[in-house]
Amino acid sequence: MSRTTTAETTDVFGADSILRRLVGEARWGLAVTRATLLEAAHPQIGAALMENSTFLTHPWRRLRNTATSSRRILSPDPRVRDREVARLNRLHARMSGTDAQGRPYDATDPEARAWVAATLFESTVAMCRLSGETLDAGEMRRLYDEYRIFLTLIDGDNEHLPATLQEFWPYYDHVVENRLENNDAVGVILYRLLANVPAPPALRGHPLVWTVGRAVAGPLATAVIIASLPEPFCRRVALPDLPGARTLMQGAYLTAGLATRYLPESWTRVDSVMGLLDPSSATPWDTVRRKAGQAAALLRLITPAPAADDQQVVLSADRFFSEVLDQTGDGYLRWPDLAAMAREVATRLDLGEQDEERLFQAYAAWWRELQAALDGDDDGRVTRQEYAAAAASLPGAGLIKIADVLFDVTDVDDDQKIDAQEYRDLFRTAFGRDLAGDGSYSRGAFVRQFVSFMSGQEHSEAYSTLLTQA
Amino acid sequence: MLLPRHVACVMDGNGRWAAQRSLPRTAGHEAAEAAVMDVIEAARSAGVTWLSLYAFSTENWRRPAAEVDILMRLVRRAIRKHAPALHARGVRCRFLGMADPRIPQPLVRDITDLMTLTGDNRRMTLTVAFDHGGRRDIVAAARSLIRSATPADQVTEDSFAQHLPYSDTPDVDLVIRTSGEQRISNFMLWQVAYAEWVFPQVLWPDFRATHFWECLDTYRRRQRRFGDVRQSTTLTGEGHR
Repeated sequence: MSRTTTAETTDVFGADSILRRLVGEARWGLAVTRATLLEAAHPQIGAALMENSTFLTHPWRRLRNTATSSRRILSPDPRVRDREVARLNRLHARMSGTDAQGRPYDATDPEARAWVAATLFESTVAMCRLSGETLDAGEMRRLYDEYRIFLTLIDGDNEHLPATLQEFWPYYDHVVENRLENNDAVGVILYRLLANVPAPPALRGHPLVWTVGRAVAGPLATAVIIASLPEPFCRRVALPDLPGARTLMQGAYLTAGLATRYLPESWTRVDSVMGLLDPSSATPWDTVRRKAGQAAALLRLITPAPAADDQQVVLSADRFFSEVLDQTGDGYLRWPDLAAMAREVATRLDLGEQDEERLFQAYAAWWRELQAALDGDDDGRVTRQEYAAAAASLPGAGLIKIADVLFDVTDVDDDQKIDAQEYRDLFRTAFGRDLAGDGSYSRGAFVRQFVSFMSGQEHSEAYSTLLTQA
Repeated sequence: MLLPRHVACVMDGNGRWAAQRSLPRTAGHEAAEAAVMDVIEAARSAGVTWLSLYAFSTENWRRPAAEVDILMRLVRRAIRKHAPALHARGVRCRFLGMADPRIPQPLVRDITDLMTLTGDNRRMTLTVAFDHGGRRDIVAAARSLIRSATPADQVTEDSFAQHLPYSDTPDVDLVIRTSGEQRISNFMLWQVAYAEWVFPQVLWPDFRATHFWECLDTYRRRQRRFGDVRQSTTLTGEGHR
């Protein structure tokens, strides 16, 4: 499939795209989770995930960004699609290096990218099969072709993914049996991510409910994922085969399939479910969420307030470090942490190449400044202790630069003010009460607030949500 | 039938109440809580559908920091203590003002929680003017109006009122200011335009349901004219501006 002039102006996936339909359904999350595990077992992808990704500390944000990104790439509008592809490529171009064993990895590696498309295709097929919906030969071929188009859009070509479905299955089996490995990323996803997944934004208010629910659902989810993986992979990676796990897995997929078929469509759309998890967006779940919000408010009001709570306006340097700065959750502040912040802002604001580059440059300058000031032992990372010891005397020039760029890219109409809409685009919430009286933000106030938040001097609900939302 | 739809209270006299008993001013604020709860219940059972209480003005920030601090704690404690009861009685709680960053974060969170919790209630709407200034509300409405780019000749009293905070709030019919003081003190300036005022001598911490009923009675006996000399009416202010 080549990108011709016609392809530029028309919907390359076709109006009746199977992929577009499936990606819009919440159950596609099952396929994505399964595919992520198979991707992680690929040495290149596993290394890139471990070194750069924030999926462990911010899984919900990652899931939402993946859903948004897929939807944009599958958009019938070529401008939306091309913009997202370019953004994704810039994002991946920044992810390369060597893993813990000294092997080089590169997120733009064509073979690894073909494997991503392959796992997504195979997991989508598995999802349909297990949820009782059979794709006939024609549909499966069409779905495969759509994935090849997907890969072509991102990679420029699709040489590394076999041309036909017949050739695909031997290729897939070969990679599973010979190329995949039991690496850190697989272990982290199966045993750490699911056991420690932080509460989605909507449930932040009730840590107890979340912890108890997770203690039950975490191991079940692990069992469901393992039971759905290809047998040769389980053998190779020595995954446990628990009694009853297959039945549980089939039950889970079948339930998802039946729900998609029989519940109102608006309930099972991926955006509805994501909306339920993230209270800052509007969906058909509004009533349910409002009731849940009221229950949560009542619970908070009747729970005795800790006496110290009265004074807790400023985050301690230590908490600020783990909640805001350490985006990858490895206990250190490194460049990937700062890059993750820049990436989140760039994704939210859907920045163009130039603005994105400016933002990354600003973050890079701050990183150099932090390293010079805080990295006492010169090992390329700042430890919690190094940060806590010097937090109060942090240099400010780099931060001011970031705030300046952030202001410029948020202020899309260049009127030197952040108005209500621009504020909402950045923080996904309406104006807070920390705003100037005339309903807009001046550059000075914006820079001041950003710098005092980022240096841990002043708490801000808006920035907390932007940078800590899991 | 001759009941005011919207009653507002300027809760004055806490300091004097405490001084008369040689207690610190804050003891007066503490004692005010019982009066507040009594009045809410009295208003609700009498069938008043809108009640507004002037709790803290933008000018009150000038008071000594320690007093402000204790006042904030008292408000927080009262909210946490009475939230379930207010909700159970179908009272929708709103806070008017609330713009100052000096309001402690935990209090802001509790106030937000209280508003979320009671947001669907309709039996009575309780508006607590907290960090409130009537002029500031009018300025805010003017700003909002200018931002909406409404042509000058299309600005009417009604369209202007739409830009006030909580624009669904009806005009105040009766204002009760305790302790005998007779001032407006920058309270809901737009909404009190046609209000009847009563000034009972009792200090706010001593104000109880019976005083409230007396005030309603006084209101019933007043003749409301709304500027007209030919006819007088004792009906509520509904439909008038």
